[in-house]
Amino acid sequence: MTEKQKGPMTLSRFDKLASNRQRLLLVGVFGFIVVLFVFPLIASGFWMRTLTLLFLLAAMAQGWNFIGGYTGYAAFGNVAFFGIGAYGTALSMLRLHFPFLPALLVGGAAAMAFAVVIGLPVLRLKGHYFAIATVALATALGEVADFWTDFTGGAAGLTLPFFRPISLSNYFFYYLALLLVLLGLGLTYLIMNRKLGYSWVAIREDEDAAKMMGINTTWAKVVAFALSALMAGLAGGIYAYWNTFVLAEEVFKIEYTLQMILATVLGGPGTIFGPFIGAFMYYILITLLVFFLPVGQLHETILGTIIILVMVFTPQGIMDFLSGRKKLTLSSLLENIRMHRV
Amino acid sequence: MTGEVIFETQGITKHFGGLAAVDNVNMKIYRGEILGLIGPNGAGKTTFVNVITGMLPPTRGRVFFKGRDITGWPAYKIGRIGIARTFQIVKPFRGMTVRENVAVGAMFGHKGGERTAQEALEKADEVLEFVEMAHLRNHFADQLTLAYLKRLELAKALAMEPELLFLDEVMAGLNTREIEEAMDLIRKINASGVTLLIIEHVMKAIAGVTQRVFVLNFGTELAQGTPEEVLNDPRVIKAYLGEKFVERQRRLLHQKSSTTNA
Repeated sequence: MTEKQKGPMTLSRFDKLASNRQRLLLVGVFGFIVVLFVFPLIASGFWMRTLTLLFLLAAMAQGWNFIGGYTGYAAFGNVAFFGIGAYGTALSMLRLHFPFLPALLVGGAAAMAFAVVIGLPVLRLKGHYFAIATVALATALGEVADFWTDFTGGAAGLTLPFFRPISLSNYFFYYLALLLVLLGLGLTYLIMNRKLGYSWVAIREDEDAAKMMGINTTWAKVVAFALSALMAGLAGGIYAYWNTFVLAEEVFKIEYTLQMILATVLGGPGTIFGPFIGAFMYYILITLLVFFLPVGQLHETILGTIIILVMVFTPQGIMDFLSGRKKLTLSSLLENIRMHRV
Repeated sequence: MTGEVIFETQGITKHFGGLAAVDNVNMKIYRGEILGLIGPNGAGKTTFVNVITGMLPPTRGRVFFKGRDITGWPAYKIGRIGIARTFQIVKPFRGMTVRENVAVGAMFGHKGGERTAQEALEKADEVLEFVEMAHLRNHFADQLTLAYLKRLELAKALAMEPELLFLDEVMAGLNTREIEEAMDLIRKINASGVTLLIIEHVMKAIAGVTQRVFVLNFGTELAQGTPEEVLNDPRVIKAYLGEKFVERQRRLLHQKSSTTNA
């Protein structure tokens, strides 16, 4: 018995460190959210608009985290849901004359419903096959929106009315986007403490074992996909009304998918705060790049290089270190390479 | 052997292309027993378990659990009605702690429907106590040794509170002392009322814990009986060790008897 007590590694001290660290992190994030709530009192319109965009990205990243981070399915077409949300909201306002908020819900619901219908067949694919199928899907949908002129306005786009009073517009969209982020945080927290959350992680770690242990994997994956669609769809709907103009090539941009994945991976896939923190990291990164390197092409090259380095050295994102699961040392960075080598 | 048949296969067959990996297997498992399933490498043991647990659809044949036809059921449904299995190649959830790994079984297994996630975590503590891994509960699964990973497989399956448990080579790769511990654990599980089918290459374990043994060779039934009968059956020895070995052993025996006679 005494021999067993030792175990392969003693974790208790480390655990305590981690939980203290987590408490600190929790306080930090909530303090930061409070700051974000009062920020508009001192901020200029430019900063509010920048942060609104950032929040929308964070919300989409939180959605991507459900399917990509927790469930481990590399969804590369989540921008499809952003587009559906944008068009769903815009069309409900224009054709059905819904007020904005009900129209937004229609947009979110449409994205979700689409995810269920598409998810049932596509979530049977794994790995690269799933990734390719989702990319194809997003591209195809963009084409449909572009050419189905009678319904979507085609290349002329859809023009929405302005939010009134215009003087409050910045505030309205800022707080709405911030609420969406909070919804994402709340949803993630609730799910991860319930059976659904455990079933997602089990599927990510070993789908066969998950199945054999009684998890209805199809259902769990479809729910993950649908919730990720809901977040992106709501973000799309908010974006549509904020922008007052919806155009296929603008709301079905593949870059948005890349941005939400990047934000999640920078922050920490499969963690509650990761996508939120990652969205800030992404914005800080590109802002710094533009600031120091005003020349056009090169900064994407450098951004790409930084992303590669991050993927190689910290594939679990900054949350690995913030949460105290690992210490930020050279050896832990090198260990990451070893662990994630194929 | 008498008693209630808890599990039965009728003519279970699995083809991979033209190859019959499992061919017309009829097996009965009685409630409360420990049945051994043995056979040389490639005999179809793991394929057989994959088919009867819903991981692979059978080509032909039927599977019954407690009199109910469960042929072709998805794996998760089979897991929920009281059948659990371990995997020969361990399948831990590496990003979870040991406690969470086991809790997944308690959440979704036989009685999982009645539990919340929190209650399942408490149930996991109970199971970890039972398999003597409680001291490792907060370790991540990727920090365990092979012996503990094998035991974690067992704990995850046990947390599902199965009536019938399939163990696929839980002792492969363990040292003598660890095998003894695993055998004790299997007896303890059986004593708690679980019926077991164990696939094993470690003959000491088969002889030590099973009441009955079923031998597969080239996907078909070769023999059935008590461990003693089966392990001394020339057909079984031949299947495992080859024609030449049986020949030589016969010659040796013959020589020995002729020398003693002289």
